[in-house]
Amino acid sequence: MLKIVFAVLLLILDASAVSAQPKPETGVRGEIVGQGGLKFPIAVSPLKNLGTSPDVGKLSEGIADAIVYDLDLSGWFNVLDRAAYIENAQKSGVALGSFDFKDWSTIGAEGLVKGGFTIQGDEVTVELRLFDVFQNKERVGKRYVGRVKDYRRIAHKFADEIINQFTGVPGIFNTRIAYVSTSGGRFKEIHIAHLDGSEKFQVTNNHTINLSPSWTPDGKSVLYTSYKDRNSSLYLFELYSGKEVKFTPRNGRYLGGKVSPDGQFIAATVEVGGNSNIILLDRNGNLIRSLTESPGIEVSPSWSPDSRQLAFVSDRSGSPQVYILDVTSNKSRRLTYSGNYNTSPEWSPRGDRIAYTGRVGNRFAIFTIGVDGGEPRKLTAESADSEDPTWAPDGRFIAFSSNRAGKYNLYVMQASGENQRRLTGSGGDDTKPTWSPRLE
Amino acid sequence: MAVVNRILCCGLVTLILAAAGCSPSATKPEPGAASAPAKPEEQRPGEGQSGATGESTTGQSSLDQLQKGKPPTSGPLKDIYFSFDRYDLEGEARETLKANADWLKRNPAARVEIEGHCDERGTNEYNLALGAKRAQAAKDYLVTLGIATERLSTISYGQEIPVCQDHNENCWHQNRRDRFVIIQGRPAS
Repeated sequence: MLKIVFAVLLLILDASAVSAQPKPETGVRGEIVGQGGLKFPIAVSPLKNLGTSPDVGKLSEGIADAIVYDLDLSGWFNVLDRAAYIENAQKSGVALGSFDFKDWSTIGAEGLVKGGFTIQGDEVTVELRLFDVFQNKERVGKRYVGRVKDYRRIAHKFADEIINQFTGVPGIFNTRIAYVSTSGGRFKEIHIAHLDGSEKFQVTNNHTINLSPSWTPDGKSVLYTSYKDRNSSLYLFELYSGKEVKFTPRNGRYLGGKVSPDGQFIAATVEVGGNSNIILLDRNGNLIRSLTESPGIEVSPSWSPDSRQLAFVSDRSGSPQVYILDVTSNKSRRLTYSGNYNTSPEWSPRGDRIAYTGRVGNRFAIFTIGVDGGEPRKLTAESADSEDPTWAPDGRFIAFSSNRAGKYNLYVMQASGENQRRLTGSGGDDTKPTWSPRLE
Repeated sequence: MAVVNRILCCGLVTLILAAAGCSPSATKPEPGAASAPAKPEEQRPGEGQSGATGESTTGQSSLDQLQKGKPPTSGPLKDIYFSFDRYDLEGEARETLKANADWLKRNPAARVEIEGHCDERGTNEYNLALGAKRAQAAKDYLVTLGIATERLSTISYGQEIPVCQDHNENCWHQNRRDRFVIIQGRPAS
């Protein structure tokens, strides 16, 4: 039985008649706004109710709030405080020529987001525009149709578009984070939520221990490790249908696994007689071959974007270190040399760097290192523990878990380590975040 | 600094201009937005209550105790402890294992599941592997002491079921342990 409960049809129509112009230089990426603490001043006006139905769900501010959250989280914008806005959003127009740019330049805005919406039953049409206040011009306009209760998704789509306009690469706000949470109880269950904490969904509810969620590249299933059948095993849960497949090794137990970016393979950690090794499975869980055969600890495989290499952790040197393995030749090389505890590698979707958890003194911090080695960059302070990095699908952000506020919470930062922000917590310990691919 | 800012600002404006109006492939309806996914299946009653090997457990494993919301009880076999990120047996652990071996020789019907545990520090999956090493180290030593390997099984819970909940070395030491759970042939007393 297909239990598709989302099925929101988001129609995107061109609401503006801006003539086609050259795309931004691809060499100029988001970094131009992020570094040196310079943030682009932008105002996000509450939306105007263009229809006759009353705004019962408070979409006017709700859509603006969701856009503000996203722009703020990116670290590239200084979103001006709504209290300073001069114009009355319900009285002024939303299209070019129907409002006064001076109301916005006066308060220091260089960018401006305005929009309107029309509610008809449980459906809403939302029109959003990005203006350049200096140039008195409209940059982009879009019209979305969706269900009223999904208005935040519309906001996230336009936030992605705003970031696309500024950086040449869309934002990553149409994604989810899968993570492990105690939710204040004693069991560890797998959860999924949007970065802003909305659209929470509990994947497991088996009152045992569930660990290490990861996404299939289509974003439709989550692979995780669970003790729900007593022995740790791998389970592939299909989010749309609720169908689940259990993978059991011929010998031993599965401790974790990851589906390859091309969707063809699973790299799994299997423990037999105390020794943990990495094996290659097909998508149905059938053994293809062993990738490591060591009497020690070999765990935590993470695929390269081209599905040809794996970063993983081995203690073959006497301490856990990150290695890179070529899947076709089975040859491996050591990547990390500083420190005596480097674990949980995650390969950037851009392919150039690997994030991992490293021990510094008695604390744990997030590092990145080039795939060819070199000096690691430490991204988090060792005043608390930060662990379990995961890359956003654009490779420009990293989410991780940290106990800097007491319990473990999820955080997001730029890949440079700047702009570290705590995400909404469950009230319990939230750990092992895993960023989804872009969802459509 | 102000000059730098101004230059960066100008660059930014240029960038916006360059980005202007690169009209997205609009007017094209997009497929449905992703995923408010379906509900997971409800757990079936009794799921997770039987041993994976089909053996009946006495309900004393750390997972059983977690499910009951009770701390793990200590049986006739004593825990052994490890250093951080280590799975070699220290002198005190060997002495405890000798005493545990003696008890197993006096109770030949008893079978034991050895649980490997870690403290909360470090990565979960690595700690699952480390706990497996710790459990195996105890099993191997008990076998050298004359206990039949068929009587001993192992499982790792990594850092997932700590016996002590605080965040200090005293607690971490208590959590870096092997626990010995009698799963069959428990004496009447």
